[in-house]
Parts: sequence; structure tokens; C-alpha cells
Amino acid sequence: MTAVGIEALNVYGGAAYVDVEELCTYRGLDIQRFENLMMREKTVALPCEDPVSFAVNAARPLVDALPEEERARIEMIITCTESGIDFGKSLSTYVHAHLGLQKNCRLFEVKQACYSGTAGLQTAVNFVLSGTSRGAKALVIATDISRFALADANAIQEWAYSEPSSGAGAVAMLISDTPHLFRIDVGAYGNHAFEVMDTCRPGPDTEAGDADLSLMAYLECCENAYLDYARRVDGADFRETFHRLCFHTPFGGMVKGAHRHLMRKLCKVPVAEIEADFKRRMVPSLAYGQRVGNTAGASVFLALAGTIDTGDIGEPQRVGLFSYGSGCCSEFFSGVVPGEAPQHLTKMGIAKALDRRHRLSISEYENILRGTDAVRFGTRDTELKPESLPGIATGAGAPRLVLDAISGYHRKYRWV
Amino acid sequence: MGPDAVFAALLAQIRDVVPELGGHAFTRADSMADLGVNSIERSEVLLLTLDTLGLKAPPREFHGARNIGELSDLLHAKLAG
Repeated sequence: MTAVGIEALNVYGGAAYVDVEELCTYRGLDIQRFENLMMREKTVALPCEDPVSFAVNAARPLVDALPEEERARIEMIITCTESGIDFGKSLSTYVHAHLGLQKNCRLFEVKQACYSGTAGLQTAVNFVLSGTSRGAKALVIATDISRFALADANAIQEWAYSEPSSGAGAVAMLISDTPHLFRIDVGAYGNHAFEVMDTCRPGPDTEAGDADLSLMAYLECCENAYLDYARRVDGADFRETFHRLCFHTPFGGMVKGAHRHLMRKLCKVPVAEIEADFKRRMVPSLAYGQRVGNTAGASVFLALAGTIDTGDIGEPQRVGLFSYGSGCCSEFFSGVVPGEAPQHLTKMGIAKALDRRHRLSISEYENILRGTDAVRFGTRDTELKPESLPGIATGAGAPRLVLDAISGYHRKYRWV
Repeated sequence: MGPDAVFAALLAQIRDVVPELGGHAFTRADSMADLGVNSIERSEVLLLTLDTLGLKAPPREFHGARNIGELSDLLHAKLAG
């Protein structure tokens, strides 16, 4: 059978962040609650950053690293997002243009809340497996920002429960038949889906929902998607089959709770042994999520990147991934991270790029939240001054794409 | 199983998940959130109680109870079919 999976991957965590403990203290939130989040920093999207700029900045190093003849084999771009900028035109058209890819390319976008990235990945994987264009590659980019507490003090207040964990970020993945980072276990997957109104984005820049209900749905899906996986995969054992686990991570504490639930329910493991298993199999997956916040469709792949970069991968390791998107749809699937994967991923310098972000003061952050300079959904014409924003002037260490202007709804970007 | 037994099963799981509340004198009007039980612990209490009672219903069906008395009633009603 054709090998298939992730050939290369990169994370883009923005230009600026806010310290989560400082934010929680400023908002007067319970410090114990902060510790439960298991979060350190959250990326804040600047007015000149949108889902397109995040996506392109994530994907460019992957594309630049390819020889010309391989770059020409990127025949599909799937953008995966719940932060769309137009009801018709997909982000992928802008991404395609700013990456300078071949014209013989299939461009589209998928949406299903935080499940979108997995939907995109599986679509690309099945494109490669179909063999309809041998040797072709697909670029899958999960890109999301949260910018929904605009200009309204009450909205910021209502948002308080999720503010510390809502982040921004993009993960770009090159899917091909040479999976240097993650080889998919073909046919090893399980789904669980049902209609529920847990969290949603009912309008531009707004988010609504019920955190408790969402947690219930997440846990229900986690268990049942795994059981569907186990139904398809002979001998699957939640405790023994997977060297590592990567779950969609709204915040670290939620993943820890889900892991504890599954270990008790499926494996009847005593509570005392669960903590050690969590540290060994899941803590590395939190490395980057703790620094950018919940990145929605990208978060499970951010977890995979953290596992490969910080999980001390020596021998090939099987990883179980769980993806959940409110509304809801979920999937448990698996693959193998080859022993040499860390050498490939380290070239992207993900941690160093996060280190280079500008730390926003609370005053700078509040100014961004008030939204005076924010580009709202449906904006027809505007001009931005990217260089005047904190984090842009200081430089990225590599060229960074920013939104420069909108003219007749058409977004104009510039490398700075 | 009677309503008192369901309530007792629920309390046993709260005390198991949140040992700090072991000495608390629970009443039906107590809210787990008000007692400092966080959302992850609350969901774990519910899932474990469902398991103990042998209820196969999705946990979200018990969402919305304002206190442990109401939650216990919902569980009992489901158990009674």
C-alpha cells in the first residue's frame, strides 16, 4: 500500500502574545483556575494579521524548502478554518497567490469548527491514496484567529471565561507519499458526531456557547470516536497501542481531564497511575499550545508538532490523535512518527519563532481588543499601517506577510 | 434504585473526585460550581456516576441542572426509564 501522511509541517504563532498569568491577574480571575488551564502565553492577532497572513506565513517555509520540480507537484490547497473572511471566495485563493504556486491546483476551504484541520488532512490523504495523480502533493493549512470581543466592554466581560485560552495560529502541512514526519495508519480511524449547540460563531467577530456542554460533548466524542477506532482496528488498546497521544487542546486542563476519563473508563487504571501516563504520553503535546492558546482547527497538529519537537522521539512511535469540532464532529486516528522526524521538524525553528514574538503589555493588548484599528468582516476599503503596530516593527527574523489594505473588498498583502 | 440511593451514589463520586469535600455536609441545594468544583471535575463526577448507575445515556442529557438535587432527580428519572 502507498505510504501517505505528513511530509513537512510548520507552525506560525503570530507576531505578538500576551502573558496569560498576567492577564488572569489583571482580570481578577482565580489563580487556581489559571493553573487548571495549563497555559502560559496566548498569541494575539494584530489588525494587520488575518487568517490568510497566518496561513501563508505558516506555509512559506515548507514551499521554499522544496526543489522547483517538487513545488510544481502541489496540486491541491485546502484551507481549514472557522475564521473565514468571505462567504464565497476561499482563503486558499489568496494563499495560492502569495506562495506563487502552479496554476494547475485545486483550491478550496473546509469548515467544521475545530475539526476542520482533520477534515482537510483526511481529504488530502485520500487524494494521495487514490493514485489519480501519482506523486502529487497537497497543502493543508489550518488557520484560525479569535477576535470577537470588539469594542464592547460587556462583550469582554462575557468573554472572560474563554479569553485566557483563546489564541491564534496556523499549521501548514504538506501531504504526500513521502511522509517524513507522520505516516498515517491507513484505515485506522473512528468517528463520532451528533448535532449539539455547544459553541458556535453565529456572526462575524462573535462567539457564543456553553463551556460545560462543550466539555460534555468533547468527552462523549473522545470515548466514542476511540471505540469506533477500536472497532475498526484489531487489537487496539488505548493504554498500550499508542506511545504518544495528541488531542485537540482548547486548554491543557481539558486534555488532562479527557485523558483521565478514558484511562478510568476504558482501561480501569487506578487514579494514582494516570498522572504518570499523562506526563509520559501527553505533556509533550502541550508544548506549543501552552504558548499560542487554542488555535481551533490547527490545535491537534500543534500538539503533534510539540510531541515531535519535545517528546524525545528516538525510535518510530505510534501516535493517537483526537480531533473535536463543536457542533459536533470528531475523529480518533493514528499514525507513526519515524525516528528521524525531529531532525526534519527542527529545521522549521518553531520554538525560536515563538520566542521572537513581541510581548504585549496589558495596555497594548486592551488597545487591540477595543478594536479601533480592527478589520471587521465585510470591510470594503481600508488601509493599515503594519509598521506602526507592536511586534511588526521589531521584525520576524524572516519575511512576514501582513495585510496592507483592502480595496473593493480585495485584500492586499505585503511582505515586511 | 430509589432517589435517595441515586443521591448517595452522586455524593460518593463527588467525594471521590474532590477529596477536599469529603467532610462537607451536602444538601440537595448545593451547587458543585459554588463549592469550587471546576468544570472538568464536574463532568468527571457525572461520567463516573453514570457508570456506577449503569446508565448508557449521553452525559449531555443531564446538562442544565442547577444543583446536585436536580441532577440527582434527572439521573433517577432516567434510571426509572
